[in-house]
Amino acid sequence: MFKELRFALYATKKNIQSSAELRTSFLMNVVGMAINNTAFIILWVFFVQSVGIIGGWHAADIVGLQGFAALSYGIVFSLATGIRKLPDYVASSAFDRFMLSPKNLLLRVATSSFSASAVGDMVFGIICLTVYGFLIHVGLYQILLILVLLVLATVVFLAMMIAIFSASFYFIDSNAVTNGLFELFLTPSLFHGGAFQGAMRFIFTFLIPSLLIGALPVESVRDISIVKLGLVAVLAIIWLFLSVKIFNRAIRKYESSNFMTFGN
Amino acid sequence: MQYPGRLIADTFALVARCGVLLILYWYVFKLNGGIVNGTPYIIVAWSMFFYFAFSTLRLRDISKSIMQDVQSGNVEVLFNKPVSYLGYRIWWQIGSGLYPFVVATVLGSIALALIVGIPHTMTVGIFLPTVFLVFIGASILSLILYSIVGLLAFWIEEVNPVFWMVDKAVMILGGSYLPVALFPPFMYKLALYSPFGASQFVTHTVYEQWHSEWYLLIGIQIFWILVLLITTLIMFKRAKEKVSVNAG
Repeated sequence: MFKELRFALYATKKNIQSSAELRTSFLMNVVGMAINNTAFIILWVFFVQSVGIIGGWHAADIVGLQGFAALSYGIVFSLATGIRKLPDYVASSAFDRFMLSPKNLLLRVATSSFSASAVGDMVFGIICLTVYGFLIHVGLYQILLILVLLVLATVVFLAMMIAIFSASFYFIDSNAVTNGLFELFLTPSLFHGGAFQGAMRFIFTFLIPSLLIGALPVESVRDISIVKLGLVAVLAIIWLFLSVKIFNRAIRKYESSNFMTFGN
Repeated sequence: MQYPGRLIADTFALVARCGVLLILYWYVFKLNGGIVNGTPYIIVAWSMFFYFAFSTLRLRDISKSIMQDVQSGNVEVLFNKPVSYLGYRIWWQIGSGLYPFVVATVLGSIALALIVGIPHTMTVGIFLPTVFLVFIGASILSLILYSIVGLLAFWIEEVNPVFWMVDKAVMILGGSYLPVALFPPFMYKLALYSPFGASQFVTHTVYEQWHSEWYLLIGIQIFWILVLLITTLIMFKRAKEKVSVNAG
């Protein structure tokens, strides 16, 4: 287990070093993505100004929501962006080389790539959560809550990435399908959390866990709600367990296309 | 049509973005007595639907195509073909998005008409001809705008950050997640007079003001098309001069 994790850390380190070689490109990606993300804050803050407070959500909560979503997205996409490349790996048979590796398959695939722009998401997420902390005057207990919820949100994000991109093994034109499914999961997680009520809240909490990424963590911190923290924790564990099961089942469907290569 | 997966992806994206958003707005409008900023839900729903339906044309992807051509060196090969490179890229882009666009728009329109109804602003005689005009203008302007971003790849190593910023400017000022009816005054002016907002004027066609302002908005669109077309042609000429063919 520790040996596998050490390998994952080593692979990540090499990925970062490789990306950082192209310094200008790396920095442009980081800064560009951070600026790009502010668009969602602008949109939803104007939304709050236009329609007023919905579901107890203020403009500050939007900042917190974007912080949680961007930071968990950034962590997953910088450390495990290889999962998003599964459709390409499967279609081109580059997946062969992972299967032949003696390391843990999922870990090996996840750490096979690195996204420089995801670092921009992380920077943006950290800034947002810091600003959010100041805006709602967080106490020490809430800071701890933010840290715990951040870990849980990241676990949910990772689990959903694994589950969604495991569909690559079932479809021929899987890139389009997986991207569509990913969109279905990610997009609602960036929406104003207060507007999700009733059936919509149930669907996007239990069936498509988009609200576990940002909306529920924000509400948990704001209301200091242990019940919501517990709910996010339980669902995060369930989704992680399910996603690994789905991945292990899906890889049985893999067939090499017999390309005369072992990937690049 | 050869890529059914693309249609599935676009349908998912349309449901994820537009469908969920419409349900959320329905709830928000219900809380506010059915009207926000003097605009009823039915108008906002159609305005947002037009934005997302238009996005299934994927005209913005022309940036990435040009960028990939430049980075892979494929642009050298395409320059040597007896067709205009930009013309080829534009028609390829239109062709690749047309089928999902037609299917998603027709099905989405029927669904929306059945669920929320058709606003009276869409039944006025001037609506159809002007929406057609503004749609053509929006398509041309989007293609030109995103071509400029793609052509920057001849000078800049990494175009993606520029693409993200332009794309988000279009997203905000185009009336995607926040319909133009809910814009604060200064933002509405930005949406009206910037090329980013002008590339999405289809979202304005369902509002009451459209009947008195349509000629102004189409005029703004034509202005930006001309300005950006000249910019594109100048950039393209310079870009061609920069290309050095390395045999091998």
